[in-house]
Amino acid sequence: MRPDAKKKIAAAAPKKGPNPVIIGAVIAAVVIVAVVVAIVIGSSGKSGGTGAAAQPSGAVAADAGGIVANAVPAKSNAPTLDLYEDFQCPVCGQFEKAMGPSITTMVAAGEVKLIVHTLSFLDDNLKNDFSKKTANAVACAADAGKFLEYHAAVFAAQPAQEGAGYTDAQITEFANTAGITGPALTTWQRCTSSGQHAQYVLDTQTAAEKAGVNSTPTLKLDGKDITKTLTTPESLITQVKLATK
Amino acid sequence: MGLRSHWDAGRLPDAIGVLTRLILGVVLIWAGAAKVTSPALSARAVRAYQILPYDLAGYVGYALPVVEVLVGLLLVIGLFTRASAVVGGLLMVAFIIGISSAWARGLSIDCGCFGGGGTIAAAQTQYPLEILRDIGVAACAAWLVVRPRTAYSLDHHLFG
Repeated sequence: MRPDAKKKIAAAAPKKGPNPVIIGAVIAAVVIVAVVVAIVIGSSGKSGGTGAAAQPSGAVAADAGGIVANAVPAKSNAPTLDLYEDFQCPVCGQFEKAMGPSITTMVAAGEVKLIVHTLSFLDDNLKNDFSKKTANAVACAADAGKFLEYHAAVFAAQPAQEGAGYTDAQITEFANTAGITGPALTTWQRCTSSGQHAQYVLDTQTAAEKAGVNSTPTLKLDGKDITKTLTTPESLITQVKLATK
Repeated sequence: MGLRSHWDAGRLPDAIGVLTRLILGVVLIWAGAAKVTSPALSARAVRAYQILPYDLAGYVGYALPVVEVLVGLLLVIGLFTRASAVVGGLLMVAFIIGISSAWARGLSIDCGCFGGGGTIAAAQTQYPLEILRDIGVAACAAWLVVRPRTAYSLDHHLFG
């Protein structure tokens, strides 16, 4: 037989290769299973959103997240500030330095109702759990009536390098700085070590995302995002005055 | 026309084909691998576009990296090249639409293409660059959809 003819005969014979339909079906099945598994795994880490989370003292409605920071209720004509912060966010630290004192003064005078939403999304970016830990600790401080004090202590000690976080000793020290003492300190310690408000912290993050808050700090005045308009503390004070009914 | 001249005529397109296949495949694997280990971050990156409802955006965020890696692998080994290129190309078109939409609505977000994502400072946005890159990758996909025959493909070895 000529070598040429052998090739031609082979080419003319029906293909005996693997069946593309079967291979295709197997690959399609693998892709579908992988996608389903990914969605199940991804969703499992999420909050249940059942409202069953232990709410800290001063928490607004369960599905909204946030803690009212006013120790004494604000005046009836006072506007509402919603502040979204992550304790590990450096820009939030700068924001607190610049705006924190003015906000605290207005809150103390009852000129504004402040709702603080302590977010924890930076834990995912930074691959640690300091945002959730401190958010739980400040919620425990709210139970002791020292929310703003604890909040200020954390930001005052924010590490220069993002991601360095806070040690357990620091987290306890913040309670001292905030003035939590005696039986309240014992309760605070139990609340902190057991992660009593851990689910509430997750729910707060979810609620913020649902409200379209994707970055920190975000400051809303009566529901309107004014973050980008803030240049000086005066610019905030002026807007709050304008919003006072 | 003899067999020989046919092969010669196909040589350059086959070489372009393998190049486009590897570009599309490697970009998809790279993008998927960067996100597949942090599903929460990926979901948040999709939500930052503010296009899909909250829950659906989450599912997309969880599923997308897996799809990218698997389709990318198929392209690199050259199995079901045309079908894989269709999927890869549609993904790129979706990304281009998403990024353009975010740009048009004045959002300041990172595309989250290779991990990361979410809101960034307005000065840090790179919409034109991201869109150009995706158009380039989409062009690779288009080539493969039109002409899926490439050199060194498993398609060629298995199915002739």
